[in-house]
Amino acid sequence: MKRFTIIALLALVAAGAAFAQDVNKILKDLDELGDFDNQDFSAVYTIVSQKPGEKDSVSSVQLFRRDKKKQFTMIVLLPEVNKGQGYLREADNVWFYDPTSRKFSFSSIKENIQDSEARNSDLTLRGFAVDYESSGVREGTIGSIPVWIIDLKAKTNDVSYERLVLHVAKRQTMLLKEEAYSVSGRLMRTTVYGKPVKLGDKQLPSQIIIMDELNPGERSQLTMTQQSLSAIPDRVFTKAYLEQVSK
Amino acid sequence: MKTTANIAFRNLSRQKKRSFLLGGAIAFGVMIVTLINGFAGAFSANVSENFSHLLAGHVFISGAEKNGDKELSVIRDDAALSAAVRQAGIAPKYLTRRSEFSGTLIFEGKKIRTNVAGVELATEDYLRERLVLKEGSWDNAADPRALILSEKIAERLNVEVGDRLLVQMQTVNGQNNVGEFRLAGISYDAGIFGQLLSYAGLEYVNELLGLKSGEYQTMGIMLDSLKSAEPSADKLYAGLSASVSMFARGERDESGAQTPFQALMREQNKEDWEGVRYRLFTINELLSQIEQIVAALDTAAGVILVVLFIIIMVGIANTFSMVMFERIREIGTMRAMGVQRSGVRQMFLFEALFLAIGGAVAGIAAALLVMGGLSLINFGMDSPAFLILKNGHLSFYLPPLRAMGNIAIIALLTLLAVARPAGAAARLEPAVALRTQK
Repeated sequence: MKRFTIIALLALVAAGAAFAQDVNKILKDLDELGDFDNQDFSAVYTIVSQKPGEKDSVSSVQLFRRDKKKQFTMIVLLPEVNKGQGYLREADNVWFYDPTSRKFSFSSIKENIQDSEARNSDLTLRGFAVDYESSGVREGTIGSIPVWIIDLKAKTNDVSYERLVLHVAKRQTMLLKEEAYSVSGRLMRTTVYGKPVKLGDKQLPSQIIIMDELNPGERSQLTMTQQSLSAIPDRVFTKAYLEQVSK
Repeated sequence: MKTTANIAFRNLSRQKKRSFLLGGAIAFGVMIVTLINGFAGAFSANVSENFSHLLAGHVFISGAEKNGDKELSVIRDDAALSAAVRQAGIAPKYLTRRSEFSGTLIFEGKKIRTNVAGVELATEDYLRERLVLKEGSWDNAADPRALILSEKIAERLNVEVGDRLLVQMQTVNGQNNVGEFRLAGISYDAGIFGQLLSYAGLEYVNELLGLKSGEYQTMGIMLDSLKSAEPSADKLYAGLSASVSMFARGERDESGAQTPFQALMREQNKEDWEGVRYRLFTINELLSQIEQIVAALDTAAGVILVVLFIIIMVGIANTFSMVMFERIREIGTMRAMGVQRSGVRQMFLFEALFLAIGGAVAGIAAALLVMGGLSLINFGMDSPAFLILKNGHLSFYLPPLRAMGNIAIIALLTLLAVARPAGAAARLEPAVALRTQK
């Protein structure tokens, strides 16, 4: 009887370890799907933001990414009043350029894009496998699509959200929904990813809906267009480019 | 000389109405300038004192911890700091321990950004003395999640005492966090800056910031008066430097481009350091740019003084020219009796000097009366002009040297104005003066 119990326990531990490995693989797959490691990526994102009692606001940004060097350049195309503003990231430094004052100031990857719910980090390289560890996995569905619901806990306090709950499609690894929680454990925002677009062996959602759970009714919808994997000139990832393009 | 001065004084009292009008004009100008000087004199002290009440201290010590690229604002163990305060012999009136964050308060679809100071609500008598509650009570502050808002913020959020509010903020590490407060009280607004600050329990603010119980970010040392701030800070800095690692104090920038506190932070960012360090700064170092406002007010007062007196000088010069013609036969008689030219000139100049000094002294006296009257008006602690008031009252301080300087300038300008008619009177030939028909 005793031997039986030990075998059962060992089997459980082995199954747990195997499942943990599966979760890690899912996270790595998710990271890889959006990681343009050996090529450049550019796209235009149109962001429609809704706030109760206010008119919808539309903004648009041109994004250039070079994930190999952790670089990105983002230029505001709309609204007209903010046209020419831009962000430049090099490794861990992010600068914001204001064409009115013609000055750069330190910014952050956690900064919101214009007045929307979207942040710079939503459009750049993600690192679920690096920044988080799984604290639980269960099965569920979104509509009729079977999903893994993976509970993630931050490994360090460098990330914006202490806890994430990912809903990942089972049939083909694809992130469908993400819930972000505060350090105190409160749901802060829910992001829904839709209409995936294949770009070579990579895949990105062409539609992202971000809902602010603390301010019901506040949401932003991001639509990706003009996506491309064409090589981007080096000068695009410089301060001089941001200055020049805003003239 | 004494006889000439006596004659000059008698001449002034002979023409009471004219002397009164000329002296009155001088007095009015001096009164305006003195009022501006008096206001500027108290402005800096009032703003600094009121800010020190808002920030709960005249001298501040804040802690910084750096590990690699990451820097946190925290004081984990203040034993060395408290010991240094004791050893410096500065006898603080109050010692406050606070943590603070900037966050968005959310209530039923309404949001407002504010700073929330975490204070020891149950024990910090200082806050209870300064903050007047309009609604709610300090008993509610026993709730660990108590929050005290100013009436403007409460009005904009449409919250009432007892309501629960959310706050969205970031921990000291920059992670997103959400807290829930219960509104314990609504305070009277302490001017525009009072609206920027809300108060909550230190323990809960620490929890939201990701700090442990007993830790905090800034120690505030409230002294007997603002005047003690600099000498106390010097003593304290010397004591602290011997026991803990300190950042160099901020240098005063003569150009006024940055405050000593900004200079301190800039130097700190340039430095390559690791571990735990402390920075010490005073309320004056935080607000040194106020001195520029005071300098601007004093310059404005100086310009007003000169402009007013150029106008008054023209009046005085004309009046004394008329006086010379009125007294032309009298001057002739005096000259015929042996009074020298210099005696006649001195008589006119003495008259002008007496007029200037009398007018200036009267002007200063009138200004002091007006200041006394104005300072009796209670604008209340909730006045929008709270920051420039002293306990709700306008206050003035007239530096004696400045008052004396003003008197000297006025005397000089008046003498200049009278120099030409006095010279003309002195140059009169006795015979010509005596036969002149008015």
